[in-house]
Amino acid sequence: MKKFLSLILVVTMVMALFTACGKKEAEDKKVVDSSKNQTENQDNQETEKPVKIRIYYSDNATLPFQDDWLTVKAAEEMFNVEFDWEVIPIADYSTKVSLALNTGTNTPDVILYQSTKGENASLALNGAIVPISDYSEFTPNFNKRVESFGLQDTVDKLKLADGKRYYLPSLYDVPFYDGGLILREDFLEAEGLEAPKTFDDLYKILKAYKAKNPDSYPLTILAGPRVLYRMTMPSYGVSLGKNGSSGTNTLSYDYDKKEYFPGAISEGYKEYISYLAKLYAEGLLDPEMADPINGDIWSQKMATGKSMATYAYYDQIGGLEGSTEIDGYKLQMYPSLEGTAGAHHQPKSSTGSGIIFPAKTAKRDDFERVVRTIDKVFFSEEGAKLWCLGVEGKTYTEENGKVKYADELVNSAEGIYKSLQVKYGCGSDVTQMVWVNEREMTKYDENYARINKEVAAMGDVIQAIPPTPLFDDMKAEDAGVLQTPLFDTFEVWADAFITGKKDVEKDWDTYVKEMKSLKIEEFCKIYNENLAK
Amino acid sequence: MKTYRTKGNIIFDVIIYVVMIFVLLICLVPFLYMLAVSLSAPKAIINNEVSFIPVGMNFEAYKQIFSYPNFFKAYGNTIFYTTVGTFISLCMTTLFAYPLSKHHLKGQKIAMKLVVFSMFFSGGLIPNYLLISSLRLTGTRFAMLLPFAINQFNLIILINFFKSIPNEIEEAALIDGLGYFGILRRIIVPLSKPALATIGLYTAVFFWNDWFNGLIYLNTDQFPVMLFLRNIVNGTSMLGDAAGSADKATIAISIKSAVIITSTLPIIILYPFLQKYFVKGLTVGSVKG
Repeated sequence: MKKFLSLILVVTMVMALFTACGKKEAEDKKVVDSSKNQTENQDNQETEKPVKIRIYYSDNATLPFQDDWLTVKAAEEMFNVEFDWEVIPIADYSTKVSLALNTGTNTPDVILYQSTKGENASLALNGAIVPISDYSEFTPNFNKRVESFGLQDTVDKLKLADGKRYYLPSLYDVPFYDGGLILREDFLEAEGLEAPKTFDDLYKILKAYKAKNPDSYPLTILAGPRVLYRMTMPSYGVSLGKNGSSGTNTLSYDYDKKEYFPGAISEGYKEYISYLAKLYAEGLLDPEMADPINGDIWSQKMATGKSMATYAYYDQIGGLEGSTEIDGYKLQMYPSLEGTAGAHHQPKSSTGSGIIFPAKTAKRDDFERVVRTIDKVFFSEEGAKLWCLGVEGKTYTEENGKVKYADELVNSAEGIYKSLQVKYGCGSDVTQMVWVNEREMTKYDENYARINKEVAAMGDVIQAIPPTPLFDDMKAEDAGVLQTPLFDTFEVWADAFITGKKDVEKDWDTYVKEMKSLKIEEFCKIYNENLAK
Repeated sequence: MKTYRTKGNIIFDVIIYVVMIFVLLICLVPFLYMLAVSLSAPKAIINNEVSFIPVGMNFEAYKQIFSYPNFFKAYGNTIFYTTVGTFISLCMTTLFAYPLSKHHLKGQKIAMKLVVFSMFFSGGLIPNYLLISSLRLTGTRFAMLLPFAINQFNLIILINFFKSIPNEIEEAALIDGLGYFGILRRIIVPLSKPALATIGLYTAVFFWNDWFNGLIYLNTDQFPVMLFLRNIVNGTSMLGDAAGSADKATIAISIKSAVIITSTLPIIILYPFLQKYFVKGLTVGSVKG
C-alpha cells in the first residue's frame, strides 16, 4: 500500500513539474514597450530591444522551413525583431488559423499566407481581424509599393462589405507565365511540324503522335483535369470548374461588359467541351483524369513516351528530362494557344495571399511598432530583396543593377531558383510579399525569360481575376446555397460530355434546361447586383 | 483428442487457409510495395520498373528524410506521447474501472450512464478547444495526454473483465486484511494482464496515430511525427488556390514511401509481442473455456 501511494505521489509530482514548465512557456510573451511613440529614426532602433512577434508560417513539405535560414536570421537582425515562428503544415494550416481566429485564444500576433476569402471574410466582419486599412499610416512601405506597381484599384477591391481591407496582400508587378502547354519539341522537329499557335494546331500534333504511337494518349493531365481547364478555358472566353477564376464554379466574367454571365451554359463553353470530346473520342486525351495530384504517375507517362504533351509548370521540365530514357528527349513550353476568344492563359491576380493581424494584436501596447516592423520586413526595398534574392555578398552581388548569383547557386544541380528556396528560404510564397517580374526572371534560364517576353508581347494573355462581389453574410449564404448543386451538376455533365456518354450536339439543350432549373441565371444575378459600382 | 481427416474437413481447411492467405496479402502487399519503392532509384520508379523488389537500390529517400529539420525531434515526441500517454491512460482507466465494476458502489449505475452518454455526445471542436485552453493546457505536452486518457470503450472492456474475476477471491483478501487498494494492486491488476495489454495496445496505437490533437493544441516543436508525415503525403495535394503553386510542388513517391515506412514500422513491430494476450483479453464478459 505504502509503495503504491508513494508511486502515485511521485507521478503527481512529476506531472506538476511538467505543467509548471508548460505554463511558463504558455505565458503570453508580451513585451511591454516603454516608448509608445515610435519615431522612424535609426539611433532609436539601436538602443531599443527587438520587438517580439509570434507569427504563423504555412509550411510546405517541398520547402521545409528552417528557423536558421539565412533570410530569417538576416531579417531579424536588419529590422530589430525577434520572431517566434509557429511552423504549421500547409495541409492543416487553415484549421489552425480558423481555430485561433474563432476562439480568440492563443492567437499569434501575425498570420502569414492568408486572405479574406471564405470564412475569414465573416470573421473579419465580426471583429476577429484588425482592419489594417484603418492604420495605413503605419504601413508606408506597403502603400508606396502599391502605388509604384499601380495597384491602387486592385487593392481597393479587396475591401469587404464594410469598406475596410483586412490584410496586406502580396503584390506582383506583372503576372508570370509560369506554366502552360508543354510538349515534346524533339517530336515536332522529327516530324517537321511547326510550333502550335491554335488549338487546331495542337490537335494535328497530337494526331500525328497517335499515328506513330497507337497505344499512347498524347495529351495527359497533371493534378486532375483542373490544371488543364484553368489554363485553356480562357481561350474560349470562360473560366469554370473547381479552379475557375471567379470561385463561382459555373459563372464566368465578361471583361468587355464588366459583368458576370452564366459561363457554364454559354456558347464558348459548348465549343470548348466539344473540342475536348473530340480529343477524347479519338484517343488523344488521357482518360485517367482523377484528382488528387499524383505527380509520379504524370512523370511516368511523360517520361516513358506514353504521352507527349501536358499542361504543367516550367520548373517541372527539368525533372522529366533528367529521368527519361528516351534519346534526344526535349520538352518546351509554348505561349497560350488561340481559341475562339483569342489566346488567353488562366487569369491571375496581381495580389496574392498576405498578412493578417488577429484582433488581439491591436491590444498590444506596441501595436504600432509591430505593424511598422512587419511593413518594413516584408514590403521595404531591403526586405523585398532579402526574401527574393537573399543577402547581398552571400547569395548574390549586384553590379549596375545586374544581379549575379553566387557560384555555388549557379552550378547547383537543381538550379538557382530551387536551391535559393531550399537552402536560404528565398522565394517562398509565404514570406515573399513583393514580386518584381524582372527580378524573378534572373533566377531562371534564358529560354524561360524568352517565353515570358513573347507572352507579354501578345497583349492581355493573362487577364485579371474577376472582381469579387461584396456580400454580407446573408447574401453569401444565398449564393452558397445555389452554388453547390449547380457545380455538382456541371461536373457530372462535363465528364459525360467529354467521355461521350452524352453527346454535346444532341444533349446540350437538356443540360442547359437542367442548369436553368437549378437557377443559374438567378445565381448570376446575385453576383452582378452585388458588384462594387 | 482425435482429428477426423475426412475429405470434407480437408477441403474446408484448404478454403480457410486460402482465405486467410488472401487477407494476409491484402495487408502485406501495399507495405512491401512501399518498402520497395522507398529503396529504389527515382529513374526506375518513373519508368515503372518497380514491383516488390527494389530496383537500383539506394537510400537517398531515407537520407533526405533524416535531413528534414525536426524529423527526429517529432519522432521523439511521438515516442514520448505513446509511452507516457499509454501509461497514464492505463492507470486512470484502471482506477476508474475497478470501482465501477462493483455493484454495491452507490451511484455506480448513474456513473455508468454518464460514461455511456459521453460516448455518443461530445461538445464539439471549439468548446473542447476553449476548455483545454482555459485549463491552461494548450502549448503543453499534457494537452496531448490528459484529455484522451480515458476512452469509454476501453473502460467498458476493462469493467467487464473485472466483473468476470470471481468475487470470492476478493472476499478472502478482505478477510485477510487487505484494503481495496491492496486488492487492486496485488490481485486484480496481475490477473488482468491480458485485458490491460489489449487496451494498452489500442491506446498506444491511438497516441501513435494522433495528429489532429497535436496540431490544434501544441506548438511547432512539440508536434508528433504523424503531422510531419501528413504534411509530406498530403501537403502537396492542397486543393483550391487557383494560383496553382501547389501543383508545381510534388514530392517524389520514394520520399513518401520512406516516410510512411519509418513512421509506421515501430508500432507494427510492437504487435506480435502483445499478440499472446489478445486471445484472452478481448472478451466483453462472456464465459471463457
